[in-house]
Amino acid sequence: MKKTISIVLVLLLVLSVLTACGGGNEDPAPAPGEEGKVFNIYAWNEEFKGFFDKYYADKIPEGVEVKWTIVPSDNGAYQAALDEALLNQDAADADSKVDMFLAEADYILKYTNSAATQDIEALGVTDFSNTYAYTVEAASDAEGVVKGVSFQCCPSALIYRRSIAKDVLGTDDPAEVQAALDSWEKFDAVAAAAKDKGYLMTASYAETYRVFSNNVTTPWVDADNNLQFDKNIEIWMEQAERYVKNGYTLTEGIWDAGKNAEMGKDGKAMCFFGPAWYFNFCMGPAHDEAMGDWAICQGPAAHFWGGTWLLAPAGSDNPTILADIMNTFINDEEVCEALIRNESQFTNNQKVNEKVANDETYASEFLGGQNDVAIFAELAKNIKFQNQTIYDQYMNEGLQTYFVEYLKGSVASIEQVMNNFYTYINEKAPSVVTP
Amino acid sequence: MDNKKKKSISYAKWGYIFIIPFFVVYFIFALYPTLLTVYNSFFENYREGLVQVGPNFVGLQNYIDLLTPGKDGTIGIVRYFGNTMIMWIIGSVPQFVFALLLALVFTSARLKIKGQGVMKSVIYMPNMIMAAAFSMLFFSVFSTVGPANQILAAMGILDKPIDFISIKTSARGLVAFMNFLMWFGNTTIMLIAGIQGIDESLFESARIDGAKSTRVFFDITLPLLRPILIYVFITSMIGGLRMFDVPQVLSKGIGMPDRSTFTVVMLLNNYLGGSKNYGMAGAVSVLLFIVTAILSIFVFKYLNKKE
Amino acid sequence: MDINKKATVRLTISRILAYAFVLFFCFMCLFFILLLVVNATKTNFQLQGKFSLVPGTNFLANLKSAWTDSSINIPRGMINSFIVALTTSVLTTYFSALTAYGIHAYDFRFKKAIFAFILGVMMIPTQVNAVGFVQLAYKFNLTNQLWLLIIPGIAAPAVFFYMKQYLEATLPMEMVEASRIDGSSEFTTFNRIVLPIMKPAIAVQMIFSFVESWNNFFLPSLLLTEAEKKTVPMMMFQLRSADYSKFDLGKMYMFILLAVLPVVVVYLLVSKSIIKGVTSGSVKG
Repeated sequence: MKKTISIVLVLLLVLSVLTACGGGNEDPAPAPGEEGKVFNIYAWNEEFKGFFDKYYADKIPEGVEVKWTIVPSDNGAYQAALDEALLNQDAADADSKVDMFLAEADYILKYTNSAATQDIEALGVTDFSNTYAYTVEAASDAEGVVKGVSFQCCPSALIYRRSIAKDVLGTDDPAEVQAALDSWEKFDAVAAAAKDKGYLMTASYAETYRVFSNNVTTPWVDADNNLQFDKNIEIWMEQAERYVKNGYTLTEGIWDAGKNAEMGKDGKAMCFFGPAWYFNFCMGPAHDEAMGDWAICQGPAAHFWGGTWLLAPAGSDNPTILADIMNTFINDEEVCEALIRNESQFTNNQKVNEKVANDETYASEFLGGQNDVAIFAELAKNIKFQNQTIYDQYMNEGLQTYFVEYLKGSVASIEQVMNNFYTYINEKAPSVVTP
Repeated sequence: MDNKKKKSISYAKWGYIFIIPFFVVYFIFALYPTLLTVYNSFFENYREGLVQVGPNFVGLQNYIDLLTPGKDGTIGIVRYFGNTMIMWIIGSVPQFVFALLLALVFTSARLKIKGQGVMKSVIYMPNMIMAAAFSMLFFSVFSTVGPANQILAAMGILDKPIDFISIKTSARGLVAFMNFLMWFGNTTIMLIAGIQGIDESLFESARIDGAKSTRVFFDITLPLLRPILIYVFITSMIGGLRMFDVPQVLSKGIGMPDRSTFTVVMLLNNYLGGSKNYGMAGAVSVLLFIVTAILSIFVFKYLNKKE
Repeated sequence: MDINKKATVRLTISRILAYAFVLFFCFMCLFFILLLVVNATKTNFQLQGKFSLVPGTNFLANLKSAWTDSSINIPRGMINSFIVALTTSVLTTYFSALTAYGIHAYDFRFKKAIFAFILGVMMIPTQVNAVGFVQLAYKFNLTNQLWLLIIPGIAAPAVFFYMKQYLEATLPMEMVEASRIDGSSEFTTFNRIVLPIMKPAIAVQMIFSFVESWNNFFLPSLLLTEAEKKTVPMMMFQLRSADYSKFDLGKMYMFILLAVLPVVVVYLLVSKSIIKGVTSGSVKG
């Protein structure tokens, strides 16, 4: 008997050691009226964390710890992790409840149209007089209940290389370049001219994807959940194929190293498309090796790309902090202005944006002295948030992924591309009916 | 005698006690989940976004879905089994051929290779390396801006970089090559042990009879190595069918290009990962198990019969 | 004499060829490791320039930037992997030895049936239980618990089989009897007498299960979602998915080096016994 006890003891010891290194977050729940001790934020990258740490972290009350869970968004990994957490929200102990999470335009609908998010006006975020209408629309559910805010506004521009524009078009003046590139016909003509001079029009087959996909007239799935292709997507596919065939662009993805190489000292690509966050943070080689050789204009069509919304999950145990963060990033003029001037952001506060747009002394060094805020303030007026579905991330990512294999020649036919794309969608979103 | 028996009876309970932990853990963490996997395969049970669908009993529908040809006339899972086996074969044929040659060289009494200890350690080393990390290394070495292209360009062979992982042949070739590198050392060492286990006098008498070394190899070494060869072959095949880490990392989880490096376990991972599609994942697992069992029995029977 | 000379020449040539053959494969195995180490010493800029195997000077800088990266927390990953791998290897070997001893040393009903059962389930691939395992983990809210990856190691049929083989070959039952006569309990006998005899087998299997667990990617990637619970192989996949633009190639090679280094170092220290372990019993594969 003594031996049996000793075995049980050993087992218990092992188990206790293991549980000690595994779980162990059993802090007592907060007393009524008191808010949670841990503020959990879910995000897919570090961008907002940087701003949060710099402009908000000081205001977090004593004794509250901010905990970030960052999962990269590739292949739906971020959404999967977030869904898991939100579905567990009720069962989770106080310290692991999600208190705020970040979402992108591609899948924001999934969360705003569900009970997993809550009305932020009830929490005290009520002043949307200065925010851009599309950012509020995007964060509202079908009944118009607002569930979150965006801390940035993301009109996307055509970013061109001044030296190449001069060589190809004879000018690098934004207004004249815009006049030469304000329609797809003209864009094609310039692409041919650039090619003749030994340049590339763009460095990625998917560079213009957002310009088309933001202006679709039908969503990716119809009312019966049938997958459908919008005319605009088909035009993009035709264009991408032609550009690759003619040598106007490369078969690099928008995030690939080969595209990035074209931003460097010896880069040959004339045009990139992107919002403020893109050219300030994702064009590393351009900053390191070709500073000031850039400028922006609208390009062939108005569009936006990305944007980070802060959403309020139902069941957060820190509603006061949550509301305060949201209010700060849309209505605190000091913070918003700092975001523009120090962080090269285009904010979601029209008043502050206009102020900087009209500031004669404000100029972007990267853009050779251009006032990008002034351009974006104009572009932002034309952004529409329309025809989105909850599946957009899978659709956009999947189509580009499988289409490029055809462009590279590793898949023989468009039919095969479609088969692969539909298979991918079937695996990721079983309820979507593919042709 | 009587005394001893009594003793062993009185100690019998210790046999049970000592095997209890194993069985408790096995039933909870392996057997029950295995049965649950099979059970799941008869249900529609997945999550889409924040909406849970099922579980609804659907009979064999998941299997029917998996085995129904797509629009291009091929059956997805059959293609993935094919991919898996093709990559395994491209890697394992050289693996067995070179392992056998290396084992013969190492054990040759005539050649008396020195430094065997170190050499064995070196060729076994890749087996210890994390497959995911190895694959990430290969991805960077063979990317368009990686050393492989730099070397080829410096040698004047290429004027434009090759995108190795976007070409079906080279992508599969890379996966196979990594599997080869990771496993040929292991196979070599197994075969060395096998050869050393053969009765020395057999070689001796063959030599006295004046048999040529090729004859000795085909008439003595190979037949006597058969059991160990079957063992290594079957374990290699089962391992091959479960191929996951290397193609998953190399192809970023999508099995590019044209899903030609997409394996069965990657499909399983796809169903389990995002959409928690327990129904389809269960059906894939059951099929994987059935195929593994059939192939193993087939190989075992075939190789044993050849005698 | 002439024939002798000819034979000597032939032997020399075959020897040279044999060495070349063997060394070629050795080189292939070392080359990628060498490349990895060299590239981890270079700056991003050097890596994009001309290829060379001359080491750079950026080793410490790469180490620092990889070690302190905020989205891929490699020190945390290494700690997690280490906790899982070490405890798994201890539990696996200890309980496999215990189970093997239980079956080897005692006579009891169903002993044969139980032994056959373990051999039978050895054939079932582990992936087959993954679906049910993951489902249960989510059902009972046990995801992101490292112990869930560790405990199943207690039941490792293949390691059990190895231990059983080893016991049959090495354990004299007289020693057990002697220990019983000395009045020591069965459990103490196992720990004091049997375990030390099994030391070589335990060492080999500990290393194998450590490596297997350290390198395991499939199950952890389905069960661990929190950043601070991730293990090293998951970080390799994260590295593959990360936005390239932010990337510094030198740092990336450093990440890979850190992922493989612990196992390679351990391996180099004990490679002899590992190689012996591969063949003795021929159960690992």
